[in-house]
Amino acid sequence: MTGQFLYNNLYIYLFISVFLLCAGILGIVFRRTLIGMLISVELILNGAGLNFVALNRFLDQDNASGVIFTLFIMGIAAAEAAIALGVILLTFRMFKHIEGEKLKEMKD
Amino acid sequence: MNLADMISFAAQASDKIAAYVPDSIFLAIAAATIAGALITVLSRSLIYALMGLVLTMFGIAGLYVYLDSPFLAMMQILIYVGAITILIAFAIMLAGPMYKHPGEWSGIIKFAGALIVSILPFIFLYKVLMRTDWIKEGVDEFGLTTKEIGRTLFDKLTFPFELISLLIVVAIIGAIMLALLSKGEK
Repeated sequence: MTGQFLYNNLYIYLFISVFLLCAGILGIVFRRTLIGMLISVELILNGAGLNFVALNRFLDQDNASGVIFTLFIMGIAAAEAAIALGVILLTFRMFKHIEGEKLKEMKD
Repeated sequence: MNLADMISFAAQASDKIAAYVPDSIFLAIAAATIAGALITVLSRSLIYALMGLVLTMFGIAGLYVYLDSPFLAMMQILIYVGAITILIAFAIMLAGPMYKHPGEWSGIIKFAGALIVSILPFIFLYKVLMRTDWIKEGVDEFGLTTKEIGRTLFDKLTFPFELISLLIVVAIIGAIMLALLSKGEK
């Protein structure tokens, strides 16, 4: 059983991470609420982490940089989610809604 | 056909089936990841979007297992599925955006614009990806142990590690202050 396995192919992982990036962009642009945008940002961060680990596993075997960078991304995503939760709660208390389109007080 | 022939035939058949098992599981995981991303972006309700995000996180953890880094898969499930998803669920429950506007869709024109904005970089990056001459086949063993990850983390990258912990402390204190201060002003 020394066949060419499909999961030993770098292109599939990179394709999945590109797909996650573009799905995240789509979500950020057309979601209405702030929480939907936050979820889409999480998608983008996951795609970036998958990209780092795949490149580390296939192109730089002796080094652990990609894996460690993905761990850092996870930590920063946790901090970002906590801050975004605080900001969303504050926005909801002040305006009674969290829709991104209606938050234009500084624009008027 | 006597018994020995049947046994050898069964062994050959099981070998053939076993050669396809890793690939089919991998394809199922990749399809679950992509379907979860689509559910996350396109579903009308925020709770369904969150469930799609959970599906995507589990799929990416499976992909990490296929990339020979099970430690990272465990961290993915612990941090993303265990912590961040719960945090977003709290945000959904506390801010409660669903009682007035159940729909998340905001018009076909905006959707078409968002589709254009997201598909153009997809096509561009896909062409770049297919045109670049990566090394196609991976070496069979990655062999990065948790010990090596710890060594690199605490020998070479000690300062960024400490900065990450400082960042998380500041974020937690900031979130608590935001929530508490606005309650005090009322």
